[in-house]
Amino acid sequence: MENAVLNIAGLSYGYIRHTLAQSSLTIRDLALNVKEGEIVCILGASGCGKSTLLNLIAGLLQPTSGEIHVTSYGDNHRRIGYIFQQDALLPWRTVEANVMIASELWQDISEEEARGLVRQYLQTFNLNESILKQYPAALSGGMRQRVSIIQSLMFNPKLFLLDEPFSALDFFTKLKLESEFYQLVKEKNKAAIMVTHDIEEAVVMADRVLLMSQDGTFTKEFIIDLGEGNRSPESARGTTRFAEYYRDIWAELKAVIGNE
Amino acid sequence: MSEGLKPAHNPRVGLGKLGLILYPLPLIVFLIVWHVLTNDSPDRQFTFSSPRQVIEAFVRLASSGELLKNTEVTVLEAVSGFLMGTITGATIGLSFWYSKTVAKIAHPYITALATIPIFSLAPVIIAWFGIGLWSKIMLAFLSTVAVAIVQSYQGAMSVEPRFLKFMHVAGATRSQIFKMVVIPSALIWVINAMRLNIGLALLGAFIGEFISAEEGLGYMINKASGVFDMATVFVGVIALIFVALALTAIIDQLERRLLKWRV
Repeated sequence: MENAVLNIAGLSYGYIRHTLAQSSLTIRDLALNVKEGEIVCILGASGCGKSTLLNLIAGLLQPTSGEIHVTSYGDNHRRIGYIFQQDALLPWRTVEANVMIASELWQDISEEEARGLVRQYLQTFNLNESILKQYPAALSGGMRQRVSIIQSLMFNPKLFLLDEPFSALDFFTKLKLESEFYQLVKEKNKAAIMVTHDIEEAVVMADRVLLMSQDGTFTKEFIIDLGEGNRSPESARGTTRFAEYYRDIWAELKAVIGNE
Repeated sequence: MSEGLKPAHNPRVGLGKLGLILYPLPLIVFLIVWHVLTNDSPDRQFTFSSPRQVIEAFVRLASSGELLKNTEVTVLEAVSGFLMGTITGATIGLSFWYSKTVAKIAHPYITALATIPIFSLAPVIIAWFGIGLWSKIMLAFLSTVAVAIVQSYQGAMSVEPRFLKFMHVAGATRSQIFKMVVIPSALIWVINAMRLNIGLALLGAFIGEFISAEEGLGYMINKASGVFDMATVFVGVIALIFVALALTAIIDQLERRLLKWRV
């Protein structure tokens, strides 16, 4: 697949017993391709395996069967940015020391280059340089999540995995962060898979929305085309197509959950 | 703030000016009651001593240099044992993070070590290390090492899973995770172990001195109690309390420096 960042084929995860019917699988024979500049949102009921799928892609879990291929930059690193609902900023490190973890671990760019990148990303996410000397506990939820995205960006990932990243934020902070992240993926030609419970968020952020059922398969795919070329998650909410997608996905999701 | 609302109670905030009266109040009441009950009764003074006799004994022991010399010996023994026990225990406890199997095998031995009354080991340790400084240091070491192991291991195993997840995804090696996440995260547990170990190290050194020694506060107290010199006994006990408070204050300072990220 051209410009593919992620290829998944025949992916299963769980306990395989003698027959398939006896097996207890969280993820069942999944296929998924994600290309550069694309955002894919996964919706589904709690416990259907959405987070397990992200953990498998991140390499935190080993698949029972199937293949996961993440495009890298030619080195051995998988280069994935994983952003959790609750940020992973190490509380005993200053913001600066947190965002510099990537260069500390890999030492693939000089400290000066890394600092330059940090300054650039701080501007992208409308953060002041003065926060670099602060500890995470002194930051608001929105600032922490922005720093968390910068922390991941410093690894220069091709692919972002987001596990309900904005669900703990207030509505206005969420809107801002959605827009900032959306722009980043599109402008830098990254790719993202976002797990969420929020249909509205999925519709405005995604190029594709996948519904996941309790048996660990994708039951339905929605290609999101909100019509305008230069959209943002905020402006997308005002379009008529947004309401149509919302209604269709909600109806489908109710059917998926209702059948389980 | 609207009328009738009070700020939430913060246990870290002191009592302000009122504290100048309230903090020493229980001590003052105790000293007055002690003085009143023992002042005109030689019998009670023989058994309980009196605040005046304790002050006199303090002046005598301090001016002769005996108090300082014995305190120095006890502090040296307790602090040496404390440092050895805490550093060794923390190193072992934290490194158990690398292998849960080793930690499981070690668990019953550590529990046994932690539950042995140190008093029962004292004769053996004194027989092995003599009646000098080393037997007391070893008793202080044995009193503290198990607590440091248990607390540090607990700390290492209580690391936030999302921090570990992040580091794994970031491609960190186990030793990088250990250095960058496990040790700093467990530091709060190690400091708690240090806090507990101050009292235990003093107890270990004191027991050693009490059983067999030629110097130290335990020796001084034991010798004084043998001749019913209760005033000297109390001076020794008060000196031990001050040593424990001073060492606790040092740990507080260390905690403030190392855990300054906690807002």
